[in-house]
This record gives sequence, structure tokens and C-alpha cells, in this order.
Amino acid sequence: MINQSLSLPNNEEITTAPNGHRLLSLGRHMTLLIEKQAIIRNVWLLILLAIACVATLGMGSMPISPKEVIAVLFGHGNVMSQFIVHDLRLPRLLAAIFTGAAFSLAGCLMQTMARNRLATPGIIGIDNAAMAFAVSSVVGMGVSLAPSAMALAGAATATALAFGLAGGSGTRGYRFIVAGIGIGAIAGAVTQLLLSQVSIDVANSAYPWTVGSLSARDPMMVKVLGIGLGTCLVACLFLASQFALMPFSDQVITGLGANIKHIRIIALVLCITLTGLAVAVAGPVGLVALVGPEIARVLARYRGIPLISSALTGALVMILADLFGRTVLSPIELPVGIVTAVIGGPYLIWILVRRTSRTSL
Amino acid sequence: MTATSLQFKQTSEINNLARLGAERLTLKHGKASIIENLDVSLPEGKVTAIVGPNGCGKSTVLNGLSRVHSPSSGVVLLDGKDIHSLPSKEVARRLALLPQDTLAPDGITIEELIRFGRHPHQSLLKQWAMDDQQAINYALNAADLEGLKDRLLDTLSGGQRQRAWIAMSIAQETPLLLLDEPTSALDLGHQIEVFELIRNLSRQGKTLAMVVHDLPSACRYSDHIIAMKKGEIITQGSPKEVMTKELVRELYGVECDLIPDPMTGSPILINMKRVRS
Repeated sequence: MINQSLSLPNNEEITTAPNGHRLLSLGRHMTLLIEKQAIIRNVWLLILLAIACVATLGMGSMPISPKEVIAVLFGHGNVMSQFIVHDLRLPRLLAAIFTGAAFSLAGCLMQTMARNRLATPGIIGIDNAAMAFAVSSVVGMGVSLAPSAMALAGAATATALAFGLAGGSGTRGYRFIVAGIGIGAIAGAVTQLLLSQVSIDVANSAYPWTVGSLSARDPMMVKVLGIGLGTCLVACLFLASQFALMPFSDQVITGLGANIKHIRIIALVLCITLTGLAVAVAGPVGLVALVGPEIARVLARYRGIPLISSALTGALVMILADLFGRTVLSPIELPVGIVTAVIGGPYLIWILVRRTSRTSL
Repeated sequence: MTATSLQFKQTSEINNLARLGAERLTLKHGKASIIENLDVSLPEGKVTAIVGPNGCGKSTVLNGLSRVHSPSSGVVLLDGKDIHSLPSKEVARRLALLPQDTLAPDGITIEELIRFGRHPHQSLLKQWAMDDQQAINYALNAADLEGLKDRLLDTLSGGQRQRAWIAMSIAQETPLLLLDEPTSALDLGHQIEVFELIRNLSRQGKTLAMVVHDLPSACRYSDHIIAMKKGEIITQGSPKEVMTKELVRELYGVECDLIPDPMTGSPILINMKRVRS
């Protein structure tokens, strides 16, 4: 095929991509600009993710060698390994990848919208509300009433309330966060109240919802989350150039021709969907939404909005936290929500303290 | 008196073809009206300075004209059409706004900042083209930032940073450019640097409007002055016509004398004294 640039008039120079970018021509009028550093970063994260996956599938009470794991994944290996990998460990691994990526992507989106890195779905009460709704369905109306769907409804309710209470200031600034913290506190209290009113057996069955665990996942919900996550990731790719404007002031964003209200609503819908579906699978593991984007930003050297990297780091954090929880005190299993809090918390504090000079996001 | 005054006369006669203006515009903050029933238009191809005391609604007018602030009633017309009925990207290809608040993404270089000015010209499947590259090179050149293009925005001096923001608007390649206090917080040298850049842009045919606090600079660097007080336009016209002792007293409660600058003929304020207006 003839290079398109040859057909340009002679007096024009050839289009070159800006520093650190690669230009993809898809025809004379179609061009994609790709940031090299982001590609390299995400490929590395994918490699790490693949390694973590193989390790996770191999580790447990019945260890399987990485070679055997890979063989099983490509359809070979012995029956026993196949059963353990495919039927026991893979569903849990997928749940970890999906929930980690969903929490982390939601966190990055909301932090970007609110221009504040405290503003993650967990902190502004979406997790707690989703949990309260799910628990209410477990303890109050019987498991048949789909706690997963209730979790999604809870996420939407909390966001709508926070949004409504914050009033004219929209998703920007502390009003939204403070309103959300209040809603989260109420939702947490409601959960405790519900649990205190029921028999110990019922409370026990609701327990995984309150700490965040991958052991009680609903296979159907994992599929739904997978589809939701995929859709949201594609939406993020389409909207990346608009999200990139968010660190500017509202006036600049409007001045550059972006519709700030639309972008915010879309981002909020994405956040609710991702968080609600993720809570429906794993309960509130909200710390991933703080830690994931933070690691992604460090890797991106605090440039741009690392949405895809956030999803990948979130998945990685979730896999490792679950692996740790499963193996470190084996046969006792630590819920993943507790592991992320115990390990993620200090790490997050370390990152925040180390980077005090970069406070704008 | 000189070539300058002649030039001013011509401008106020010729230009009635405004591309941007507002009719019976009312803008509110919550329930409080800042601007009521305002008619305003920007003379084409000229630099308009909007002056007035703090809180008179200058910036609000600029935000209204640039569709950042939606009107409670009335209409802002861009090329004869309601600005809010046009697609935002379409407006952004004709009208650029440089607000006072200059929040920027972390770790951004000058060139990256200027690249954001190309946003209205780009789309999902047209992310980078020849015209983007040319516009950015042109903007870097016009704002004299070629040597600094890879520097981080936060490492620049105030004047350089302001030039970078203006360069972003230049890269937007709009015939209209609105600037909200482009020289506030700059020292004298940087102020003049920015004003001269604005004059240059006007010479190339752009229509500019700026909110300015410094009256002598407003007179020196604009073709048209709009004087506002309490949300209303008190008077407007060429600096020579408009700038009088009475106006300064009316706007700011300051008694002064005006003398023409011996070099340029534009009015200079001397012997200023605060009085109760």
C-alpha cells in the first residue's frame, strides 16, 4: 500500500506525531494518536497480571506447577489439574480480576471528576450503601431476592443522594465528598442494625457481604460484571480525550468545546455500574479504588489520567490480596477486603506521604 | 491629533458587523441578578477592553458571552445564532476563552498544554493531523515559546505561563478570543509582553475582548472600551471618546486628571485621589 503522506502536496511537510506519541494512520483522514509510554506501561502490567494469574492458579492446598497450569489453560494437563484450575480456581481468579479492575477504574474516574483523590466510591459511601441494600435482602427478604441486584440499586441510590445533597456544586469539591461520607455512615449503621436484629445464622450468611470476600461470589454476577466492565472500558477509551480535560477548570473545559455536564453524568453512570456490580460480586473492597489508581498514577509519573492502567493495577492488587488471604494463614481464609485494608492501607499512606507535593489530584 | 486618533475614529464608524454579542442578556448567580437586560456586542477585528470596579459583572459578561454561564433570559448571538443552540465543539472552533482560573493537569509541558487547544478540531478518528501540527507550531511561535516547549508549566515564570495559556487559545484557531484579566498578577514587563501579544493577534484579524483593571493599559492596548458599573454598561466607544475625568470618578470614585501620552496619544491618569462617588 502506498504511504498516505506521499500524496500530500509538496509544499507541506510530513505530519509527525508529537513527542512521545506514535501516529497511526487509518487512511487519509483517520488518525489515532497513541502515547508510547502508556502502551509500554500497560503491556508491562498485562505481563505482570499474566504472571500473577498463573501463580494464583497454581497455589493453594493442592499446588500445581506453573508449567502444568499453562498446559491446562491451553487444554492439556491431567484431569485432576484441569478440575482444580478450571472449576475451583479460575472462577475465583476471574472474579478477582473483574472486581479489582472495576473498583479501581471507578475510583480513577470519580477522582478525576471530583478533582480530588479522596473521592473514591468507597469513601463517598457507594460501597456501604450497596452493602446495606445487599444485606437487607439477605437478612430481611431471603436470598432469593438477588442481593446482587440490590447492591446495584444501593450504589445508584447513594450516588443520587450524594449528588442531590451536594446541590449546585455538582461532583466537584468537598460538598459531594462530605455528603457521600454521611450517606456511607448511615448505610454502615443500617447494615449493623439489620445484622443485630436477626439470628446468628442469618447474620453469618450475610457476613461475606460486609467484609468483602471472593469466596461467596455468585457465578451469574461475575459474568454480568465481566460484561459491564468490558463495556465501561470501551466507553472509557471512546471518552478518553474528554476525560483528559477534567483537570482543567470548568470554564476551560467548556471553552474547549466539551460538554461538562454530559461528561460528568456519563462518568457517574460508569462509576455506579462498576462499583455496584463489583460490590455485588465481592462486597465492599473499596480500598482497591484508592490503591489501584494511586499505583497507576505513580507508574504514569503523575501525567495524564491512567484509566486503563488503573483497571490493570486494580486487578493485580485484588489477585495478590486474595492470594495472600488464601495462603498465608491456610487453611484459614482471610477475606480479601480485610487483606486489602491491612496491606493496602499502609501502602497508600506511604504513597501519599511520599508525594505530598503532588496534591491536586 | 495623530494617526492614532484617526484610526480610532475609523474603527468606531466602520464596525457594526459584530460576530459576537448579546441581546437583553440576564445572568444570575443563584437568585441574585448580576447582569440584567444587557445589550452588548464586540466590534469585529478589534480589541475591546471591559473595565469597571470589582463586582460590576465584567467577568460574568465574559462568561455569558462564552456560554460558560447560561443566561436566565436573553440571548447570546454568535454569527447571528443563539450560542447555546450550537454544538459546543462548533462554538469552540470560533470562540476561545481564557479564564482567570488557570488550573492545569499535573506535570504538563507547554507543548502539551497548547495541544489541548486543538481539542475542538479533533475527534475520535482524527486525533492528529497536519493542521494540528501547524497550529501548534504557529502558536508556539506567536507566543515566543519555541525554546520552552518541553518545559513543565509549573516551572515557568508568571509571564511565560500566561503566554502559554494564550498560546493554547491561539492554537484553537478561533476568530474570537475572550480573555479574563490576562495580566492580573503579572509584573510590568510581563504585562506589556502579554498586551503586545494581544495587539499582534488583533493585527492578524482576530476579534478580542479582555477584562482589564488597569485603565491606562486598557486605553493604550484596546480599540474599544466598554465601561461597566453594577451590571450595566455606562458608556462605550473608542478610548479617546470614552475616557474622561467624569467616567473615572463615576466608576471608581477617584478624582484625577487626564493627559495624553506624548508618544501614543492615549490617555494617562495623573493626580489621582479617592473621593466619595
